[in-house]
Amino acid sequence: MRVPWIAATFFLARSALAVFADEAWNVDYHYALLGLPKQSTSFFHQPNPSSRASLIYTLSEEGVLGAVNPRDGSVVWRQLLLSEALAYNVSFLRAGEGQDTVISGIGSQVAAWSAADGRQAWILDTAGPLQDVEILELSDGRETAGAKDAIALSGGEHPAVVRIDGTSGAIKWQYQWDGVDQPYQVSASTTEVFAILLHKTLLGYVKLKVVSLDPVTGRKTDEHVVSSENELASAETIVSVGANSASPIVAWTNSAHSVLKVNILGTKEISSFNIEAHDSHAVERVEIHAPYHTNSLSHFLVHYETATSHWADVFHIDLKNSKIEKAYSLPKMTGKGAFSTGTSDANVFFTRVTRDQVMTVSSASHGVLGRWAVAGFGVAAGPGESVEPVHAVSEVSIKGTSVSAVRSAVLLSTGDWVLLRDGSPVWNRPEVLASTVSATFAIPAEVQEFVQQLEAEAHGNPISAYIHRVTRHLQDLQKLPAIMASLPQRIVQGFLGTSADGGIASDSFGFHQIIACATRDGRLVALDAGNPDKVLWNQQVADLQLGQTWQPSVSSPEGGIIEINSKASAGVRYNASTGEQLFSILPIDETAGEVALPVKYAIHKGELDATVDTKMAWHFTPMSGERIVSLVPRPVNDPVASIGKVLGDRRVLYKYLDPNLALLVTANDVTKAATFYVLNTISGAILYSNVHSGVDLGSPISSMLSENWFAYSFTAEASANSPKGHQLVAGELFESLVANDRGPLSASANYSSMQTGTEPFTLAQTYQIPEPISHMAVTRTRQGITSRQLLAVLADSSAIVGIPYGVIDPRRPVSRDPTKDEQMEGLVRYSPVLDFDPKWYLNHQREIVGIKDVVTSPALLESTSLVFAYGLDVFGTRLSPSFSFDVLGKDFNKFQMLATVAALAVATFVVAPLVARKQVNARWQFA
Amino acid sequence: MLSLSHLALLLCANLASAARLTVSIPPSPPLLPNPSTLPPSTHAVLVGPPGVHYDVPIRRDSTFVFPDVAEASYLLTLHSRDYFFPPLRVDVSKAADESQQQTIQAWQTFRGNEWDNKGPHYGSGKGELQLQIQPSGHKEFYQERGGFNIIGFVKSPMILMALVSAVMIFGMPYLMDNMDPETKAEFEEMQKSSPLTGSGGAANQIQNFDLAGWMAGKGTSSGSGASGGGNSKKR
Repeated sequence: MRVPWIAATFFLARSALAVFADEAWNVDYHYALLGLPKQSTSFFHQPNPSSRASLIYTLSEEGVLGAVNPRDGSVVWRQLLLSEALAYNVSFLRAGEGQDTVISGIGSQVAAWSAADGRQAWILDTAGPLQDVEILELSDGRETAGAKDAIALSGGEHPAVVRIDGTSGAIKWQYQWDGVDQPYQVSASTTEVFAILLHKTLLGYVKLKVVSLDPVTGRKTDEHVVSSENELASAETIVSVGANSASPIVAWTNSAHSVLKVNILGTKEISSFNIEAHDSHAVERVEIHAPYHTNSLSHFLVHYETATSHWADVFHIDLKNSKIEKAYSLPKMTGKGAFSTGTSDANVFFTRVTRDQVMTVSSASHGVLGRWAVAGFGVAAGPGESVEPVHAVSEVSIKGTSVSAVRSAVLLSTGDWVLLRDGSPVWNRPEVLASTVSATFAIPAEVQEFVQQLEAEAHGNPISAYIHRVTRHLQDLQKLPAIMASLPQRIVQGFLGTSADGGIASDSFGFHQIIACATRDGRLVALDAGNPDKVLWNQQVADLQLGQTWQPSVSSPEGGIIEINSKASAGVRYNASTGEQLFSILPIDETAGEVALPVKYAIHKGELDATVDTKMAWHFTPMSGERIVSLVPRPVNDPVASIGKVLGDRRVLYKYLDPNLALLVTANDVTKAATFYVLNTISGAILYSNVHSGVDLGSPISSMLSENWFAYSFTAEASANSPKGHQLVAGELFESLVANDRGPLSASANYSSMQTGTEPFTLAQTYQIPEPISHMAVTRTRQGITSRQLLAVLADSSAIVGIPYGVIDPRRPVSRDPTKDEQMEGLVRYSPVLDFDPKWYLNHQREIVGIKDVVTSPALLESTSLVFAYGLDVFGTRLSPSFSFDVLGKDFNKFQMLATVAALAVATFVVAPLVARKQVNARWQFA
Repeated sequence: MLSLSHLALLLCANLASAARLTVSIPPSPPLLPNPSTLPPSTHAVLVGPPGVHYDVPIRRDSTFVFPDVAEASYLLTLHSRDYFFPPLRVDVSKAADESQQQTIQAWQTFRGNEWDNKGPHYGSGKGELQLQIQPSGHKEFYQERGGFNIIGFVKSPMILMALVSAVMIFGMPYLMDNMDPETKAEFEEMQKSSPLTGSGGAANQIQNFDLAGWMAGKGTSSGSGASGGGNSKKR
């Protein structure tokens, strides 16, 4: 029974488009991103305790845990721990010294991951949200074998400290307390576990309460309050609770950041230090950097930051009498700086990264062990923007007593994560792109300028146009030497078949479009689709406060210009090639567009309202108990080459083409039903609707509408006699189902949605697909002649598949073989199971994670559509759904062609005397 | 990806004794001799009734552990970058009484078929079930281009015909020379009588066609066939 389907699938797979082995990895590009790393969850660690090679681990703001190779910046492995990124999530990442696992804590889950390959070792769900996770490094010799245990502090209704077995993930003991004290952090020395709780006083201040626990039994051994009555207004001024150092500390400042107080956990004394103001600016931020190893010297560095400068003090802890002394200061420098700690045996080194130098000092004395100038970080930044280091982690190599090399992974203010070896950048990862919320394609400004010049020549008066042209050519002549110089290289490249490459200016195929990405933290980043290895420009366009969000939408209203719209601003435009802000063009001159689109519609309070000139045009209220899930209109720029479909016998089925179509999805949470409507957005008429019951509304419901067809997918619940799983429905609208007949429209020359209510004839077909589709898009080409591909984002496979339209064509004949005419059209027998052939995977072997949206744009070549997917990862490629019929692809073998010509030439020279002799003989010899 | 959905968590919390499902991938040469080469993004998904959804990543020992699965009927799918795995149906059903544990059963299932159409039984257990799933195929992402292939080139009918005719042209005179005189005479006789190659044959006429003469309007210079054109022009 299943054999014919499989056969059909194989047939389709062969006829359909695929990723070619020689184009994969060249045509497509992919940034495997993690998101902005956090200082507290980033570190160098050796995945294999026996080898010295280390990786950089981080748990980013996007909730992605990953390991990065410090040599080239490639991702070794990563795990998405949060399905939805929270901008300021609380997460923890720890690695015990000499351990082959890293332990993450996010939400309520503590998990251990194999440091070398990223596989899970164990996972544990704590009762409440996690407040802290630490590794227990006991020095009593009982912990030598096996993995080191972890301790976790969870909040919620029943806050608790839990000791977790490092091998199995089982709970060894649990300490819960009564009362209203809020858990804050947990810390461990070699002999004790400290839980730091916040105790609210009557006046609204908080007090720090330290509870000491026995690490073996989990029993409370001591409890005391360290801060005085009204010192701390809130927990925000608590600077740090060091952990795993020989003597963990807790430090806090007063709200004016003028006094620093430090307590060594386990003691009651508090050391107090005045923070000296170095200039007129107030200290805004105080941070503590301490080594995370129990056998390191108990030194720590306090980093002070004002609006314009930063400096640091280094303190030593005297373990014998529990005294803290200030050892030395690192001088003030303008701009921001990042400090990081590195250890070598017991020695501690502090590395300071500023905007122009990297410097390493020992914690013991202020002598500079190494200083390297930073010429630049090698990242793109906005005009006038100074690139500042935000935070850094570093690894110090020691030879004898001197520092031989320092590797620092620095997060810059531009959102790039850069590795500096000594002072020179080795790689950079544009992690800012991981928070892209909106993206668009735009034509480069140079190309647009050229178009405008040609237009000026075409429409001006002949004499001035001629002068304009001559001056333009004279200007072009200046580029001649450069062209001549690059000519040999271009010829060689032409032979090697890389004609699609080249700069933006020499882009004859339209592959070099600019992709502008607006990110969640208010930056606008531009990439070149034809040369995506490098960020073109990157600048701050919105000044967002901490925790503030914006919903920008980026668009390209005309060539060479990128426009950002958000709730706050009406629309700011930027030059697509340089990122320069354009003040001259105001976005008010869009009156022409408004006449063309008189009906505006929007989802308002769960209903769909359409207005004409502020008057209500129509109103769509979902049925009672239903809510609107999504609304997908037909794309504005959706060219259609043919108004009909040519059948095998040369007759025509007319497509129902209306620019004002939208696909609306509503869901009923009680009956588990999803309803899909195709609406005319001018008249509000429902052209087609379909209800599916037993739909899993927690799974993604994706939908798409283009030309005269639509597609949607959902997950269906099983019943005894129906299949369970994910379904894809494709529908196509026709004016009539009779060939060569336009139905009621044939009589009318003009047509208006307002007057005539012609309804389409709709064919729809359902397919069973192997996994849910989280988002859909469609390829776009310049004229719409090329057949379309449905692009489906598969979250479970971390892939995007391009499904050829012929495979989901609702006109596939059901339960009979196709007739000869249908075969001519390329229709194959309908089979309910649609397998995604791996050759349809646009990403082939790459794994693209967290894709939220896919944008497409036509290239200048009719055959080609540019695709750009964003979300967490950034992925782009070029697609030719009907093969590259207008450009010589890589399959065109230039050497073979030349060889053939040469062989023919040789053959001609060899055969010519033979033929001549034969002709002469024919004249003289008579048979 | 790894977090269970909230509803699932609530469901789990309500159930006193939840079932534990362990799925392992055994070494299955020649397709997958070493399952530890599977990338860490390999994960298993249990899709239950609406809202119940579990997703777990691969463990160090190439297993997937669902620690507590609520009572329902599930579709189990394994997703890996390089391999296909068959989908399974997993049923967790109520225990007969309070003291007993739930029953877990697993069968192969077929997409596009009704849910009750079950395939081979993979196993059943009380409160706990360990399954082994072998990959069903390797994902082939790349399409090789049909490059230049000399054997395929020679095999094509056009080239075969050309080769045969080349053999005829170059080989025939040699053959003729080596023939004994009687056979040769017989052969020549045969050729003369043949309509195609004889002196009055079509091929000869075309070969001896005097284009210049025909253009000049000369009538019966050579063959009768050639004069046909000229004659018609004269008429």
